[in-house]
Amino acid sequence: MNQLLLIPIVAFAKLLTLALRLSGRGSGTALPGYLIGRYFPFVLEALVSQIPVVVVITGTNGKTTSQTMLSAVLDQVPEAKVLRNKAGANLSQGILSELLKQSNALGQLDFTHAVLEIEEATLPRIAALLKPDIIAVTNLYRDQLDAYGEIDRTEKLIRDGIAQCPTAAVVVNGDDPRTSRLTQGLGNATYYMSLAPEYARFLPYEGKLNRRNVDSQGLEATNICINEDLTTDFSVQGLMNGEAINLPRATTVSPGFFHVYNGLTAIAIAHLLGIDGPTAAAGLQAFKPAFGRGEILTRQQDSKQVNYRLLLIKNPASFSLSLELLRNIPALKLILAINDNTADSKDVSWLWDSEVERLNQADIDWVLCTGLRAKDMVVRLKYALNTPPGPIPAIESIRQAIDLSFEQSNSGDTVFVLPTYTAMLEFRKLMGKTLDVV
Amino acid sequence: MAYALTLTHLYPDHLNLYGDTGNLIVLRRRCQWMGIDCTVKTLTMGEVAQSGQTDLYFMGGGQDTDQVAVVEDFHQLKSDAIRADTEAGVVFLGVCGGYQLMGNTFLMGNGEATPGLGIINVNTRAPGTDVKQRCIGNLIAEINSTAYAEMQTMYTTPHAIPRTLVGFENHSGQTYLGEGVQPLAKTIAGFGNNATAEYEGARYKNVFGSYMHGSLLPKNPHFADYLIGLALRRRYPEATLPVLGDTEELAAHAYVVQRYGA
Repeated sequence: MNQLLLIPIVAFAKLLTLALRLSGRGSGTALPGYLIGRYFPFVLEALVSQIPVVVVITGTNGKTTSQTMLSAVLDQVPEAKVLRNKAGANLSQGILSELLKQSNALGQLDFTHAVLEIEEATLPRIAALLKPDIIAVTNLYRDQLDAYGEIDRTEKLIRDGIAQCPTAAVVVNGDDPRTSRLTQGLGNATYYMSLAPEYARFLPYEGKLNRRNVDSQGLEATNICINEDLTTDFSVQGLMNGEAINLPRATTVSPGFFHVYNGLTAIAIAHLLGIDGPTAAAGLQAFKPAFGRGEILTRQQDSKQVNYRLLLIKNPASFSLSLELLRNIPALKLILAINDNTADSKDVSWLWDSEVERLNQADIDWVLCTGLRAKDMVVRLKYALNTPPGPIPAIESIRQAIDLSFEQSNSGDTVFVLPTYTAMLEFRKLMGKTLDVV
Repeated sequence: MAYALTLTHLYPDHLNLYGDTGNLIVLRRRCQWMGIDCTVKTLTMGEVAQSGQTDLYFMGGGQDTDQVAVVEDFHQLKSDAIRADTEAGVVFLGVCGGYQLMGNTFLMGNGEATPGLGIINVNTRAPGTDVKQRCIGNLIAEINSTAYAEMQTMYTTPHAIPRTLVGFENHSGQTYLGEGVQPLAKTIAGFGNNATAEYEGARYKNVFGSYMHGSLLPKNPHFADYLIGLALRRRYPEATLPVLGDTEELAAHAYVVQRYGA
C-alpha cells in the first residue's frame, strides 16, 4: 500500500535521527518514532508487515533476557536475520524508531524475524498493528504500582492485546496464576512453561501455583542445578502439539530460576519456529546475559582487580529470588543500590514485600547500601537481619559506594550488586559501560 | 514484669499491597527489642473474629478485586468483634483500604460507595468532577497536637521524637471526615485524605486510619511505639517503653522530609 508515501517519511526520520545525534541530544531512540507514530500512524504497520515472522515478548520480569536468549537461538540458524528493539525502547515509539532506523531509504526491511519486547501497557495499543505470530508473557508480578495502579489492570491490558491477535500462538508462564489464565475464553493455541514443583514453590507468585495445563501442552524444567558460577543447568521435557520434547541438558548463563523460565520460553518459541531442541540449547549456551542481568563488570587499578556481578532487581519477586541465589555464596560481599526514579518505582514500600529475611541464611562478609533510597534499604536490613555484620553504611552517591567497595575488597573478589533499574544504568556508566555498548 | 501483646493481621492474603506486611514486621521486631512478648495472629477469609482476643488489629489495602472479595466476610464474620474491641479501646490501624472499610462508606472497584463498618465517622467516594486524579506520591504530614503530646508520654525516659509522619500514598478514594473524628495529621506535602482537604488520616478512640501505606511504621518509629504503648497501657496501665536506638529509621524519615518537604 502506501509504499511510496513511506519514502519521504523514512527520509525525514533518518535525517532527524542524524540531527539528534550530531547535536548531542540523545541517540534518537524515541523522538522520530514519537513524531511519526503521532502524525503517520500507518507507518508502524507498513514497516512491520514486511517481516515474515513477528514475535512479541511482554511481562513484568524477563522480557529483555527472553528476547536476548531467543535472538541467540536464532543466531544458530544461518538464514535467519533478526530485528530486535533495544531494552528500554519497548514503548510504541521506541519500536517504531528501531524499525525506521533499520529500514533502507525506500522504507524496506530485510529481516526474517522480528523479536520485540513490549512494555505491558503498550501491548493492547499496538498488537493489532504488529499482528504477531507468537506472543510470550513471562510473568505478571506486582511492579510499578504507582505507574499503573494495579496488577489486575495490567493483566486485563495484556489479555486485551492477545484478544486482538486471534491467530497468535501464546507462550505463558504456566506456574504463574495470572499469566496461565490469560487465554481462558480465547481461541489462541497456548503453551505453558513450568518448573518442576519442587522448584516452583520457591517462587513468590501471587496465589496458588497453576499447573493445570502444563502436562498436555507445554514444557517443564527438571533437574535444575545452580552452579557455583551461577550458571544454571536443567533438563526439559514436554509435549507441544502432540510432539514429545526431551532435552537432557540445557544451560543458561544468566543466574537463577527466573532465567530457566526465560530459557524454556526461548526453546518453546524456537520449536514453534521449526528449530530443534539441540540447536535451541546451543543458542542458549552461546547467549550473553543482557546488561544488568547477571553480567560481570570489572574494575582494575594497579594490580588489583575486583569483579562486580549485577543482578537487576525490579520488584519483590526479583529481589527475593536474587537473595535466594546469594544464600550459598561464601563470604558474600553485597551492594544494594536503590533509586526511586520513575523507572524504578517512586514508591519504595516494595522493599518490605521482598523477603530480605532470606539473607539470614547467607554468609555475609559485608553489605552496603547506596542510591537515593539507601537509607530505606538500611532500615529494611535492620529489621530483617537477626545478626547484622556490623553497622550498615548508607552512601547515597553510587560513585562513592563503588570506591569504598573497591577499597575494602581483595584482588579477585566478586562483589554482588543488586540495583534497581536507574541505579543499574548509573552503576554501568560509572564503570565505563553505557547502554549503547550492548 | 514481663509484658505480652497479641497483634492480629486482618486478611494478610487479600489485603497486602505496597508493603503492608512491613508494619507487622516493625511492630513485632520493636516489641522483641523492647522485651515485650509478642504473638502475631492472622484472621483471614472464613474465620470468625472473637472479641477480647487481641491488643492490636492491623488491616492493609488490596487490589480492587480483593477489597470487593473481603467486604461481605468483613461484615458477617469480623464486624461484631472489631466493633466491641475498638469501642473498648483496642488499638486498630487501617491503611488505605483498611482505613476506608472502617468508615461509613467506602469505594468499590466499580466506583460505587458501599457500607463499611461505620466505626470511624468518615466517608470515602470516587474522585468526581471536582477531583479527577489518583492521589499518588510521597506524603508528609504533621501529627495532631493531642496525639503528639501523648506520644511523648510513652517512654520510660523523655525522648525527642519527630513531629511529622512520612509515607507514600496511592489511592483514588477521596475520604472526608465527619463529626467526632480527629484528623491524624495535617498535610505538609502530598494529598492525604483527599485532593482538596489539608488533612491526612483519622482517629477515633484508638482506631487510626491512614493513607500512608507500606512505609508507615518503618520510617515512623515514634508512631509504631505509640501504637505499642497504647496497646500495652490497656493491659498494664503503668507501662512505659524503653527508648530504642532509631538512628537508621530517623535518617530515612529525615531524608523524605528534606527531599519532598518543600
